[in-house]
Amino acid sequence: MDLMQGTVAVLILKTLSWGAMHGYDISRWIRQRTEGVLGLEDAALYQALHRLEKKGWIEAEWGLSENNRRAKFYRLTEEGRGELQLEATNWRRYAEAVFKVLETA
Amino acid sequence: MARIPGRRLFRFPRRSTAQVAADVEAELLFHLDMVTEELVRQGWAREAARFEAARRFGDVEGTKRYCRALDERKETRMRWTEGLKEIGQDLRYAGRQLWKSPGFTLVAVLTLALGTGATTAIFSIVQGVLLQPLPFKEPERLVRAYQVVDGQPDTFSVLNFLDWRAQSKSTAAAAAIDSTTLNLTGEGGEPERLRGVAVSASFFSVLGVQPLAGRTFAPDEDRAGAPRVTVISEDLWRRRFGADPGVVGRPVTLSGQPYTVIGILADEHRYPDKIDLWIPFELSEAETRPDNRGALYLDGIARLAPGVSIEQADAEADAIGRRLAQQYPESNTGYSFGVASLQEDIVGDVRTPLFILLGAVVFVLLIACVNVANLLLVRAAAREGEVAVRAALGASRARIVRQLLTESLTLAVVGGALGAVLASWLIRMLVVLAPDRIPRLEEVGLNAPVLLFTLGVTLLTGFLFGLVPALQASRPDLQETLKEGTRGTRGRAGSRARGALVVVETALAVILLAGAGLLIRSFDKLQRVELGFRPEGAVTFSLSLPRAKYEEDSQIRAFAASLMESMKQLPGVTAAGAVYPLPLSGTTFTISFEVEGRPKGRPGEEPAMRVALVTPDYYRTMGIPLLRGRVFTERDRKDSPRVAILTQSAARQYFPGEDPLGKKIVLGWNVDGVFQGGEVVGIVGDFKQSTIEGEPEPEIFLPYEQTSVGALAVVLRSDQDPAAVAAAVRREVRRLDPDLPLYNLQTLEELVGKSVSRPRFYMLLLGLFAAIALLLAAIGIYGVISYTVRQRTQEIGIRMALGATQRRVLGMVVRQGLLLALLGSVVGLAGALVMTRGMANLLYGVSSTDPATLAGVGLVLLLVAAFASYLPARRAAEIEPQLAIRGE
Repeated sequence: MDLMQGTVAVLILKTLSWGAMHGYDISRWIRQRTEGVLGLEDAALYQALHRLEKKGWIEAEWGLSENNRRAKFYRLTEEGRGELQLEATNWRRYAEAVFKVLETA
Repeated sequence: MARIPGRRLFRFPRRSTAQVAADVEAELLFHLDMVTEELVRQGWAREAARFEAARRFGDVEGTKRYCRALDERKETRMRWTEGLKEIGQDLRYAGRQLWKSPGFTLVAVLTLALGTGATTAIFSIVQGVLLQPLPFKEPERLVRAYQVVDGQPDTFSVLNFLDWRAQSKSTAAAAAIDSTTLNLTGEGGEPERLRGVAVSASFFSVLGVQPLAGRTFAPDEDRAGAPRVTVISEDLWRRRFGADPGVVGRPVTLSGQPYTVIGILADEHRYPDKIDLWIPFELSEAETRPDNRGALYLDGIARLAPGVSIEQADAEADAIGRRLAQQYPESNTGYSFGVASLQEDIVGDVRTPLFILLGAVVFVLLIACVNVANLLLVRAAAREGEVAVRAALGASRARIVRQLLTESLTLAVVGGALGAVLASWLIRMLVVLAPDRIPRLEEVGLNAPVLLFTLGVTLLTGFLFGLVPALQASRPDLQETLKEGTRGTRGRAGSRARGALVVVETALAVILLAGAGLLIRSFDKLQRVELGFRPEGAVTFSLSLPRAKYEEDSQIRAFAASLMESMKQLPGVTAAGAVYPLPLSGTTFTISFEVEGRPKGRPGEEPAMRVALVTPDYYRTMGIPLLRGRVFTERDRKDSPRVAILTQSAARQYFPGEDPLGKKIVLGWNVDGVFQGGEVVGIVGDFKQSTIEGEPEPEIFLPYEQTSVGALAVVLRSDQDPAAVAAAVRREVRRLDPDLPLYNLQTLEELVGKSVSRPRFYMLLLGLFAAIALLLAAIGIYGVISYTVRQRTQEIGIRMALGATQRRVLGMVVRQGLLLALLGSVVGLAGALVMTRGMANLLYGVSSTDPATLAGVGLVLLLVAAFASYLPARRAAEIEPQLAIRGE
């Protein structure tokens, strides 16, 4: 399924709330968690990562991966945490509302 | 916050574009490699796996571009924020440092405030008077038109002006201006004599100005018989009419005639300077009579036609002038016409002295900068340790220099701000004290261009005095200074810089002193000039009799007679006389003449001399000696034979080798068909007529009784206090005619003083600057010598222990100071010889390279330097050798 506008950001933020990760791990994680339902194109992911970094919600540092390769790790900032809370709440409300409408069939 | 797995590497701040691109490349490459590995593990062939990884990714190149652009923008923004943060740090640090040494900061700020304040004040005058364009529409197209007489700009006659205006194609519009005085009566106050001009109706449209209220003249309002209207100045409106808006449309009484006020003109639009009101110039029959083509009294202004230059208009005017000279040889031979820039005409006179003053005050500013630079150098030497530590901690030299410069700039800005406040106060004072004859003073103020100038000067001086100390302090021999107690090489280099600075400021001070000294000597000579009359103990005032009330000559004479009679009766008055025009008042009349029995001069080559009207006791009152013959008496009345008196220079020039007494002189001045003049009955001594600096010119006097005019100036000699005399005079004049204003009531000494008001003003200002410069230079010398003494305490102690007497130490130190001063004086005097040449035409009786003045200046400086060095020298002499050697 294709992702709707604005979902990439909240997904990334939530993923990083579990810990710092590099882009490849983030992509794998999201794929696993959504059991392959949400197909997040890697290009879009990286563009989103850089956008979020510029916005200041995530910050990056170069480090060594598990296989000792130089990789760029991202993690949440304080502002990012706050934004995540906000977005998550909005999403739940949105989904609940749509669900309610759909339920009254 | 979760830990980042693996080891952390440093993040490097400030990545270049290439680094940004490399990072993005590396990040994406890592991902692609990881996917490739995953695929290989799933069984794909390596090459195919790589291809598939790229395919699954999406638009790799597009993503790279996108991320690169984003990151570059982020880098730029980060650079800016970091830069601002650093500046903020620098400012806070600078502030703390300056706060910690209040003495230094106070002295530096005050010195800078003085320098920038004075410079700003003078610049505001230069800007308002010289640089700012005139406040009229397209002021560069405005010209003054004049008639050229004997190669000098002079006034037009009515017919000449009209002819020029009609024939001139290079001017789009022109207006004539005739000075006049009008007496304002009524309006609930004393009768007041106002300065006015009668102008052509086109006057205001030539200038291109709109009135503050009401309207200006309509095109036909200067025709004979038109209703009497007037435009008043804003100044008069506030002063006399209480800024009442209802004054427009009201009639006022001017010289006994009713005029309707039709408009008010803003003060900044006033032309000519300090005029109270404008009335239309009525062209009457008399003025346009052909034989009055020789009566010159009109000024003119004009607006150039589009596309015409001033030179073209001037050339055309000259051509028209020559044509008229051929057409009307009796009146116009040798005359021509010309035009010149109006702005130049108004301010040309004061350009040189104002720029000289600006140069002088800039010198003062430079000297102030030198002193502050020296202070900073000393301070830098004391902070060597701190700078060394910072450098060791990784601060680059550029960063240190920048931080030190921030301190200097902060000092400069604080000093500059204070200076601007000082300037606003100084400007107000200068405008009030400045002599009348400096034009456009009401346009002077702390306006935008001036403030911009102040800002620029402030920043420039901050760099100027801050750069050298900053560079000095951040020099990279830090190893040495981190060790304790080392003052070696750095100290010497620093003291050389300080010494050089002191020489520079001394030289500048010497140049200023030379200029001031020359002006002082010149002014002194002016003051001692032989006037030819006695100004002490005399009072003068002027009256202007309006034609409405004093139409007949007999009325004028009757009034004058009763006036003089009552003046003589005033208590304390020992002599009273009247004259018109009053010497040194700025008004003179020159008339051509013939001596009976001599061949008539060719047209254009007739001799001419000054003429004035006097009452019999005038010479006695003024103290002008009678050299031969007699003065006028009561018996020289209207119907008696006509008589005249000459000055000695007139006798010498026009009657060389003959006796002028008994000769008859006929003037080119026609009153009711009768040519004025008379038989020479007396010769009086020469005296200064128009300016103090000028030479007395030949003059002829006629009795006031025989040739009356509606104006006169009374001179009274009294042994009473001038204020009492003034009060008595006012009472008497009011008694004789309550509607008659008297003006220019002053002592003769004040009158003389006014005519030297400009040289006095320049002298006082330049003298003030020179005094400040001398003080600053003395402080500078004191500071440097003082510091040197402190630095060399050990050495002095050793010398004294080895047998040097106190006197020798004293002499050594003072000699050091004198050496610096001598060097500075030599350079300064050389500079003065070159620079004072620019002042030459401000000087009277003194050459710009007057050796006595220059020698005096050098001497003064050496004495001051000796004194400034003496104080620290005394301290040096009192050093205890034991303590000094131990290195206190």
